Amino acid sequence: MKSLYILLFAGLLVFSCDVLEPEPQQSLDASTALADAGSAEGILSGAYSLMQDPEYYGLEYILNNDLLADNAVFEGFFDSQLELDQLAVPITNLWIEEVWPDIYVVISTANLLITGVGEIDDPALDKDAVLGEAHAIRALGYFDLLRYFGEHYDTSSEFGLPLILEPIPNNDFNQIPDLPRSTVAEVYDQIISDLDVAISLLDGSDDTGTMNYWAALSLRARVNLYRGAYAEAFADADSVIARGPFVLEPDLNDVFSTTEASAESIFEVEFNEQDQSDYNTFLFRRDEYNVDTTLLNSFEEGDVRATFFTNSRGRDRTTKYSDNTNANNAKIFRLAELYLIRSEAAVFASGDPNAGTTDLNVVRNRAGLEGLDAISTTEDYVDALLYERRAELNFEGHRFFDLVRLGRAEEVLGLEPFRRIMPIPRNELQVSDALAQNPNYPTN
Amino acid sequence: MRRKLRIFILFFFMAGMASGVYAQEISGTVTDESGSPLPGVNIFLRGTTQGTQTGLNGEYRLEASPSDTLEFSFLGLKTVVTPVGTNTTLDVQMAEDATQLQEIVVVGYGSQKKSDLTGSVASIEGDEIARQPVASLDNALQGRAAGALVSSPSGTPGAGISIQIRGSTSLTASSEPLYVIDGIPMISEDLSDLFTGGQRTNSIADINPTDIASIEILKDASATAIYGSRGANGVVIITTKRGKVGAPKVDINSYYGLQRVTNTVDMLSSREQLLLMDEAAQQDNRALGTDYPENYVSDLWGYDPDDPELQNTDWYGEIFRTAPIQSHDISVSGGNERTQYFTSLAYFDQEGTQLGTGFERFSARVNLDSKINDWLDVGTTISVNRTNQDRTINDNSLYGVVINTLAGDPLMPVREDDGSYADPFSYFGWWMLDNPLLIANEYERATKTTRGLGTVFAEATLFEGLTFRHSTSIDYTSLTDEAYTPIISRESSNASANGLGVYGATEDFTWLTENYFSYSRVLGEKHNINAVLGASYQASNRNFVSIDAQQFPSDQFTKLDAAAEVTAASTEGTQWGLASYYFRTNYGFDDRYLITLTGRADGSSRFGDNNRFGFFPSGSVAWRVSEEAFFPSGPTLSDLKLRASYGITGNQDGIGNFASRGLFGVGNYRAGATLIPSQLSNSNLSWESTSQFNVGLDLALFENRLTLTTDYFIKNTEDLLLDRIIPGISGFSDVIDNIGEIENRGLELALNGVILTGELNWTSSFNISFIRNEIKRLVVNDQVISDSHILSEGHPIGTFFLIDQDGVDPQTGDMLWDDLDDDGNINSGDRQIVGNVQPDFFGGFNNSFSYKGLDLTFLFQFSVGNEIFNHSRAHYENLGWSRIGTGFPLPDGNNHVLARDRWQEPGDVTDIPRASLENGNWREYSSRWIEDASFLRLKNINLGYNFPDALTSRLRLSNLRVYVQGQNLLTFTNYTGADPEVSQNARDPRVAGEDFGTLPQTRSLSVGVNIGL
Repeated sequence: MKSLYILLFAGLLVFSCDVLEPEPQQSLDASTALADAGSAEGILSGAYSLMQDPEYYGLEYILNNDLLADNAVFEGFFDSQLELDQLAVPITNLWIEEVWPDIYVVISTANLLITGVGEIDDPALDKDAVLGEAHAIRALGYFDLLRYFGEHYDTSSEFGLPLILEPIPNNDFNQIPDLPRSTVAEVYDQIISDLDVAISLLDGSDDTGTMNYWAALSLRARVNLYRGAYAEAFADADSVIARGPFVLEPDLNDVFSTTEASAESIFEVEFNEQDQSDYNTFLFRRDEYNVDTTLLNSFEEGDVRATFFTNSRGRDRTTKYSDNTNANNAKIFRLAELYLIRSEAAVFASGDPNAGTTDLNVVRNRAGLEGLDAISTTEDYVDALLYERRAELNFEGHRFFDLVRLGRAEEVLGLEPFRRIMPIPRNELQVSDALAQNPNYPTN
Repeated sequence: MRRKLRIFILFFFMAGMASGVYAQEISGTVTDESGSPLPGVNIFLRGTTQGTQTGLNGEYRLEASPSDTLEFSFLGLKTVVTPVGTNTTLDVQMAEDATQLQEIVVVGYGSQKKSDLTGSVASIEGDEIARQPVASLDNALQGRAAGALVSSPSGTPGAGISIQIRGSTSLTASSEPLYVIDGIPMISEDLSDLFTGGQRTNSIADINPTDIASIEILKDASATAIYGSRGANGVVIITTKRGKVGAPKVDINSYYGLQRVTNTVDMLSSREQLLLMDEAAQQDNRALGTDYPENYVSDLWGYDPDDPELQNTDWYGEIFRTAPIQSHDISVSGGNERTQYFTSLAYFDQEGTQLGTGFERFSARVNLDSKINDWLDVGTTISVNRTNQDRTINDNSLYGVVINTLAGDPLMPVREDDGSYADPFSYFGWWMLDNPLLIANEYERATKTTRGLGTVFAEATLFEGLTFRHSTSIDYTSLTDEAYTPIISRESSNASANGLGVYGATEDFTWLTENYFSYSRVLGEKHNINAVLGASYQASNRNFVSIDAQQFPSDQFTKLDAAAEVTAASTEGTQWGLASYYFRTNYGFDDRYLITLTGRADGSSRFGDNNRFGFFPSGSVAWRVSEEAFFPSGPTLSDLKLRASYGITGNQDGIGNFASRGLFGVGNYRAGATLIPSQLSNSNLSWESTSQFNVGLDLALFENRLTLTTDYFIKNTEDLLLDRIIPGISGFSDVIDNIGEIENRGLELALNGVILTGELNWTSSFNISFIRNEIKRLVVNDQVISDSHILSEGHPIGTFFLIDQDGVDPQTGDMLWDDLDDDGNINSGDRQIVGNVQPDFFGGFNNSFSYKGLDLTFLFQFSVGNEIFNHSRAHYENLGWSRIGTGFPLPDGNNHVLARDRWQEPGDVTDIPRASLENGNWREYSSRWIEDASFLRLKNINLGYNFPDALTSRLRLSNLRVYVQGQNLLTFTNYTGADPEVSQNARDPRVAGEDFGTLPQTRSLSVGVNIGL
């Protein structure tokens, strides 16, 4: 009879082993995520969800730029922002630690689509559209990383970025490659080649909530401007202005005081009250990004753009993100910038300081200002250009890059030259043998 | 399940045929020393679990064979052992026992005599828990068990308690022990999703402490290995009261008391604050060459420091109150030889010492045991509890009550003349974001929990010595969170939300089935064998709902129905399962040599595919030296036992249910669902593995009147579950992995003494623990994990990483900062290791006296060498600096009275720098705020009077006791903050020891009565 008990007990042991196999209810297994048209489109849209991250276009990528420059001033609480405002960014700064992987995850999403979409057998899938957009997204990600972490202003520099162009095999963290940094020229080449593919595949798309054909063209214009390929930058900007379906809004309120895309929007990362950014929270409810008085004092008499400020709780604030449900979009490309790109490219391509005045005046006139008189030197042109870019694009994440690439950062901001770019974060150096720190920053 | 049931029925059918092997019936009467009959005495056939209890008249009846030995045991009396022989009647008289050596100790899946233990177990009697004026039983464990560091991180009623048994063993997984109540490993984490700052709710507080019969704390691997992958942090076994044979016994307990905070924070008066601000300007004139006029700040603000009518608000005084605490419970227990019952009903209500907080509990219990026939016992253990917790936001959060009281501007009134709440933005303190009285009174944060814990069991005796036990248990919690942020609040108006409402609900359903055989046998007089073999399956299913809404018509409406706009709504669900097989064997030879072998195999749904099952073995030996012939047994040296154990246990708590898998989650873009990668895979993910070596000694002297238990342990945790930093080019910054190693080594000592007996009784117990915690290895060393804490090899968990200082320069009054990286800037790049939160030693000292009807007990609790990062000081020791530059002097607010000791002129030697309108002497994350938080606390004192029998019998009561009791009455510490035990992140040991707007503990005085009918 004892053996019977043992048998019965053995019976109990096999009972209910299924307790070990629950399936997640809110996630998919990564190895099977990309399977058909629906999932490819879901992953593509996912890249924009990732861009909405507060460290990226949801807030900090944009506003930290103004904080590093002389548009915004820290009167708040978080040390991470204080260090940026002080222009003394340590290798442990919280934001640089976070934004590095947060942009690379956008790139890895694009990598998955670029390598995987070709194998999907689903007639509902428009492969060209997905591949084109994925290439444009990858180019955007690498360019955004390069501007903060690589010597983007020097095409002969070896301090570019690690270029990862394939998904991690099996999503297994043990198989992450240890990549050294490619040179700045190699990174630019990769970005341009991705954009060439994107532009060839995206022809005709103009959905401003995505990296559409015009956005890819605008990005190529901006990238070429940064790397000093002025003729190419001129051609692309000209193409967007001349051929694109965009017009400058006569009233700047229609650009800034709206939660929708305006007539001059080329690409915006969209937010709504169900899917909020952090701009309004940080600009109105907190004090990390208050307005620097030098910005307020810089406006010419009569400049309408000087009215997009307010004073609340005793501090000066921008009203570009005034929707209190945090539904204002992040404006990544809008037509006004393309005029400014075409202007700058025209001057530097030709060496003629007046070659870009017409385009500057288009932007000035819209802001209620008179056209400029003749400009005598390129230096004077840069002053005029910087005024225009600052007045037009403040709190949109441009000023610090502009001062750096136009060689004015040291003079205007009192910046030590090596601090024109951020350090590679300490924790990235800790887990990579191949990754080199930027010059003059500590390695540990 | 049906198949299972069939097996089960078949099982008992078979088992029934196996009974009926006993030879003769024995009966008798058990009496105490005075000859009165003793009901409820346990009688066992020695070496088995077979037995009975005496009835009301002290009589018993059972079947035994002549070779059996009967063992009569009763708590507090010396066990009597009698061979049956040819007797059919055995009358026994039992004498009082001054020691606890014969106690029965509950261990995992069974119980053992304390003298037979080979592992390290601490026992606490239910009475010690039940009568303390605290909301939850874990709170009542403070200072009572060696090796268990119990801290109350906050005075928030019903808040989570932190218990670390033999040190922190984990970094990201939990370091809290496993709680097992009446055999059910219970859900013990916070299930509330409501944002209220760092303090969590405590699901242990769902249990009524007055129902508890005993608590055992299993410490070494020998004791915990039977809980396998959940045993590494120690196990707290809670046993609730059960009925005993006898007439119905009615117990009524009641107390009522008043509480205050343990300590108030003393701030400067508004006059002193104005003088400090004016002095700051003059100090800057001298040090920096500025030219502020005399009385610069007070003139600018428009105040005269010498105005006798000057507003002088004591903000701490405003948010704290004297609050009542009360508890009332009634229990009825009793039974006959066939059925015993225990049933209770209890109510507990604690108002918080801070406005807006409170905790209330209703609980009911029925524990039934029934003997169906001579081979089958069945029973149930059922409790239903309801808790209502009123909460406010606290700790490090923008709209916390205490946090907004930090540095509260004394020039600001609570209310304006028209009765509305004063707005801090109309006054001169930067720190306060909203009026803390408004937050405490007008915000609503309520968590309501309904919890049912139920077990049904059956135990069948298959044949002599072998029993089979089956139990099925359910642990069900339904919790709702409701919050409302009023329209008049800054939080709502800054967001133009017109009132913000949140509704959340969590439902957890956990089932458990246990099936195990127990075998107990004495072979050939000297070989004592006990064994347990079983299987267990547990699974849990949890669902969440949350809805956020705004735009309310007025603050009269707080339900979401009134909200015009729902801003977010979601439901979520998750689940886990555990399949386990376990055994334990105890072998004792001649009561001299004891061996225990234990093992458990756990399969967990959380582990990676390559590591689905883990096996956790342990072994231990004990040698009762005093049973040896050569041992000079005598009245002086009455008992000596040496113990040693080694084993491996695991920890799987705190890993997400699906942490091992590569996953895509769901995102949102343009009101459409998107797919986003959410984690990389780790198919090797497994449990944390803790190997523990323990040696111990149990010594009893002077006829067991003085007992000493001491243990030395080395506890090494490998395969630590930790977020491993990975290259960001993967798109992720970390993945959870088994990396790293932590060691805890320590010495524990517990001394118990019966110092006086007779008319005046005095018993005393003392425990002390020395535990050293060290991170031995990390894959990436020196991980900065917060603004103030680091993980670093060679240092303990909870190490502070801050900008360091060398005090105040006596010549200039300025702080001397250590510019570690020599870059000319003092910022986060200059942080370094400056201390840690681990105590050098801690313990408790408990004394009980009784004299005639009077009894007195008091417990001291102490901790020495632990440090606190007193973050609050960064704000209430601002000494005048303003965040918005020098344009307008707007300091954080008022200063602590410590600022009276500030540097004022060259030659002053002090720790507090000069006042200044600049921030050069102020760094938020600096060692300026590190303090020694050693303390000695009179945790509890209780003075009672038992009315004499003559009176109680006239009142037809069996006993009547009245008492007065104090909790936390005295605290001796140099810590300058509100309470030396606080921690704003209550349950995360990595960032422990930070005081930032945390509510101090309560001090209470109460009167109570215990009535027995």
